[in-house]
Amino acid sequence: MKNGHYQTRIRAIYNFISDNLYLNRPDIEIKGEQFNSTLLFGLLTGLNRGKELIIGEPGLGKTTSAEYVGSILYRYPLGIVWGSEISGHPEQTEEKIIGRPHLGELNKGREKVVWSDFAQIPVKIVDEINRLPETKQSMILNGVDRGNWEYLNEILINDEYSLFATANYQDRGTNTIIAPLIDRFDCLIESRHPGSNIAYTIGKEALVPHSLRHPQYEKELHQILRGDKPYEEKMTLAEGVCDLFGEYLKEQLGLEGLNKEERTHINEEMLGLNFDIDTNAFVRMMLAELSFCHKYGQKRSVETCEDGCHYTGYLCHHIKNCASNRLPMSMRKYAQALAWFLEDDGVDLEHIRLIIPYTLAHRIQWKDSYLSKKEGEGRNDPFQIYLVKAAAEETFQRYNEQREYLLEALSVGYRAFAGEEVTPLEGDHPIYEEIKKDIGVKDEKPL
Amino acid sequence: MEIEHIIQKLWPRVRKKHFYPQLPLPVVIEGGEDCALEIKSKQLSISSAFYDKLKEDMDGEEIVEAVLDHGITHYMYCPWDFHTHLTLYNEAKKVVRQKDQAQRAATYFMDVVADTYCVKEKDTNIAALYKNLPKTGVHEVLTALYEKIWGEDLGSGGHEELVNRLSRIPYLDRKSWKESIKKFTEVIQHILEEEWNDEQMSSHREPNPMGEHSLENYSLEEIDQGLREFAGAVDDLQEFKETVEDLKEELEEKGYGAGGMGRGKGNPLDANLLYYMKLAESYTLPIRKLPIEKTGYLHPHAHRPWEIGKPFADIDVWTSFGKIIPGITQIWTKREGETHGEYEGIPDCLIIIDSSGSMINPRERLSHAVLGAVCACNAYLKNESRAAVYNFSDALRGNKIVLEFSHDKEQIYQAICRYFGGGTALDLDDITSLLSRADNPDIFIITDMQITNLEKLIDFFQRIDNRVTAVHLGHNVHTTRFKDGMAKKKNISLFNVKNKEDIPKIILGKVKEYLTSPAEWR
Amino acid sequence: MKNPFEAFHHTGARKREIPLDTILKSKEETLSKILTGYEDLLKNEAKDLVWLMQYSTVIKAYSIAERGIEGLEYTAEDIEEFCYALDHSDQIPYLITGPAGIYISALCNHAQEQEICLHLRDLTVKINLLGYRLPTNKKLMVQGNVGDFTGIGLDGGELIIEGSGKNYTGAGMKRGKIVVRHNLGFNTGHGMTGGELMVGGRIKGLGKIVGGKLYERDQLIFPNEGIKPFYV
Repeated sequence: MKNGHYQTRIRAIYNFISDNLYLNRPDIEIKGEQFNSTLLFGLLTGLNRGKELIIGEPGLGKTTSAEYVGSILYRYPLGIVWGSEISGHPEQTEEKIIGRPHLGELNKGREKVVWSDFAQIPVKIVDEINRLPETKQSMILNGVDRGNWEYLNEILINDEYSLFATANYQDRGTNTIIAPLIDRFDCLIESRHPGSNIAYTIGKEALVPHSLRHPQYEKELHQILRGDKPYEEKMTLAEGVCDLFGEYLKEQLGLEGLNKEERTHINEEMLGLNFDIDTNAFVRMMLAELSFCHKYGQKRSVETCEDGCHYTGYLCHHIKNCASNRLPMSMRKYAQALAWFLEDDGVDLEHIRLIIPYTLAHRIQWKDSYLSKKEGEGRNDPFQIYLVKAAAEETFQRYNEQREYLLEALSVGYRAFAGEEVTPLEGDHPIYEEIKKDIGVKDEKPL
Repeated sequence: MEIEHIIQKLWPRVRKKHFYPQLPLPVVIEGGEDCALEIKSKQLSISSAFYDKLKEDMDGEEIVEAVLDHGITHYMYCPWDFHTHLTLYNEAKKVVRQKDQAQRAATYFMDVVADTYCVKEKDTNIAALYKNLPKTGVHEVLTALYEKIWGEDLGSGGHEELVNRLSRIPYLDRKSWKESIKKFTEVIQHILEEEWNDEQMSSHREPNPMGEHSLENYSLEEIDQGLREFAGAVDDLQEFKETVEDLKEELEEKGYGAGGMGRGKGNPLDANLLYYMKLAESYTLPIRKLPIEKTGYLHPHAHRPWEIGKPFADIDVWTSFGKIIPGITQIWTKREGETHGEYEGIPDCLIIIDSSGSMINPRERLSHAVLGAVCACNAYLKNESRAAVYNFSDALRGNKIVLEFSHDKEQIYQAICRYFGGGTALDLDDITSLLSRADNPDIFIITDMQITNLEKLIDFFQRIDNRVTAVHLGHNVHTTRFKDGMAKKKNISLFNVKNKEDIPKIILGKVKEYLTSPAEWR
Repeated sequence: MKNPFEAFHHTGARKREIPLDTILKSKEETLSKILTGYEDLLKNEAKDLVWLMQYSTVIKAYSIAERGIEGLEYTAEDIEEFCYALDHSDQIPYLITGPAGIYISALCNHAQEQEICLHLRDLTVKINLLGYRLPTNKKLMVQGNVGDFTGIGLDGGELIIEGSGKNYTGAGMKRGKIVVRHNLGFNTGHGMTGGELMVGGRIKGLGKIVGGKLYERDQLIFPNEGIKPFYV
């Protein structure tokens, strides 16, 4: 698909942010092009309505990268994005995050909710989410997952939104992110140090009013968001101001953001990109290794995998928990977004191999023995991401070796599922057992 | 340059064919005309001289694509990693017993596997390439083999007996590679010997047209990982030792010293130490996480609705909006916060290891006692504590090593791996002296308890308060005496090991316990 | 329910087969047939996994082995594969060296090739009864060490052992030649009536030799002043 028009605009946004706002060093390569992972995934998150967790050392641009991406893609002036951000600290309350009663109406004895900017606008940023106590994290689960925000007896449902959350590494004062919340994030990215030479140039330019700010439009948007109108009406009005801001961006900076219709259209284009056969089979193979347990039926974090199992050579032996169903959804979304961005006709192995580490790193719990073996190895990525990269490469090697046989097994699976009398193929890998389970054949391998 | 343009043009297609290997764009070098390809740390380099020579007989794009197919398949399939390369070399060496010949056998085997895989699984011109390559010596045999197993006319022939035997080897069955390379090497052994003798006479070596395989192909990290996996996979220490000794020069040139990478040349590689070091890496404990601890103060945790009758003191005026109305008013529930704490100090560790005649010589066979000691040391060193070693045989006659507390891994390993093989007696003054140099260190003692001055040792342990883990092998009157002597001491744990293989796990279990409860030792 | 394998409806046709696949497949099939013959031999001969080395049992086992390999097409390499499978494979539930040796001897004797070379250096087990009844015009070379009763009843063929043997080597040989590069055990040449037995290393002990010639390190030690034929 060589439409190119939207992709050109997104590339222009990437280049603008990279050259002017979020100075960085490319750290990933795909299809012969080099990109910075934070910026690339930030754009992909903004485009596919994803949820991204950005980690990194303090002061390396975790929040700012998200702010710039959100501001330009959704055409909200930066001041509005700043104003809507939630910061993670123990004294956060529901009233500050989601909404509060209208005080005037409350005095009259009527319930009316004043929704927070965070709940309303489609660019949602939670800064230092791991400083929120766990109870507060639970409070935003539904909102983070579905864009549904409830307060008193009212509900606000976001049509579209992208969520960016930042987290520092563990230190005094941070908590863990609860498992249900972390599973809801589509991807985990590190915002890295750009290197001493680029870092030196940051802030060298004289301080000027930020190019993404527009006080007038910010004021107008602020008034709209604080108004009394129904949410849908507010969003329509806001979109009008965003159009104006978009024109401003185009005139002043040569940037074209996206309106809601365009964002929806892009999403449809992305969804139309199919996985090729190899990518399809490889992802299934990966998922099999992350969810299979020969002894207990499936992987469970409360059950220990013993040594001596036939499958100790696979990932299932090295992990504690089972892959959730959100994992393939995240993989699919981001792989399609990446393929769309690169103007490829479909999703292939290169796309998925790039995406997997970032969509899986935060969802997997490795066994201590595996961690201790790997932590001394040299790497260029944070440990979580490195582990998944290494694991994905191992699984890919297995796929490469038995590709033909696996494709045949899946084909036989199709025929068996369709009712044909065929014998499923036997193989060493968990995927063959999964195929047999799907077609109703019992696993007879001894425990 | 024409060849560069061809590479640029073909590279995306070739990458796609091989499922996108993580390799940089290949480059052109002014190499010899006899060797098509060089692979160094994942960088493929095609020789322009080779290309020019072959261009007379083949289309330029076909040449480049075939060469790239070959190089990429080595990366993606065989050998894939350094561990596989070492394993193949090791098996070939069991047949030919000579380093160069074994290396060559491994190289040829890997070429056969990679090219056969490529011909079967991918759309490739490798067969055409071989048709136009010179066919002398072993390459003549291999080309004849390719004719038979690929079903292509490559302009070779002959060597029927050899080819018949070679064609029965399952090259594409990875699980059989260890046996397959042995069979392969057996068949071509006499040719390898002839080749080698000719080279000794003429001091000239015919290069492999499809490139050599050596440590140059791998990065230091890959070598490190490969050695670790190889240490765990070999049947005994001698195999590992032999292979590492063979590759000593190349490893040292790469800067791979016994203490780890990057130590530079000049550190002679000790294969025994390397073996235990690599094996111990499979028995590591993770670095301790920051403990979660209570902060000691209450913080507002959550709101809950205020009910009539509940106290007013915790009402949150702001979220209640100044109203005292059931359903609107909210009160705070407070909870003691939890946050990440700081690391407690970890004590140092004293290893007391018995190297008398009744214990295994760690330089001849795998000694699980030494492995356990090394694992314990690693765990303490990793947590930035120090380790000391008291290695004893007949200590009163001077058969002992007393290594002071230090962080120097190599020295510690040397001390642990030393073997005296004499009588068994401790010099308690040495131990007392060592203990005085650290603040209540943990003690690990590994012995078969057949110690001549066992009573003194028992007496000594009864007087100290350090945490002691004693691992003894076998069951005899001495172990019973020791057990009875230590019965009332809570700081002493005793393990009788039936299977030597359990020693590292036992020691690590105890270390883990100690490391997760460091405050108790104060 | 939607078929979860829908995307693979049209895949499944395997890519090209190369002659290597055919060779390996044929090798597996032949090995399988050879193994079947061996299992039949064991079923008949080795009840309760016990087999007694006796004159009559050897003859009976050999005829069963011959029946088992009748009609089978195989090469010397297939025999070597079988030897290897005896030592390493899970396919063979149990290895009893007596019947195994007889079976291998039958295979060698009825192979198409006149010269057979078995590379057995890597085997951990030493096979007994190799070379049993090796006929005239057959040459069997074994690379590696062998077990007891090697070359017994040799019937005109040439048996070369590039290694050592154990006890009762050449027992009852009638004609032909046995060459052993290294050492032999006890009762060497016991009951031999003809042929030549040449040992490159040491012989631990001789059996009751009737006829033929026996050499130790190029020295003729039978017939010899010091050692009389058994019948004298």
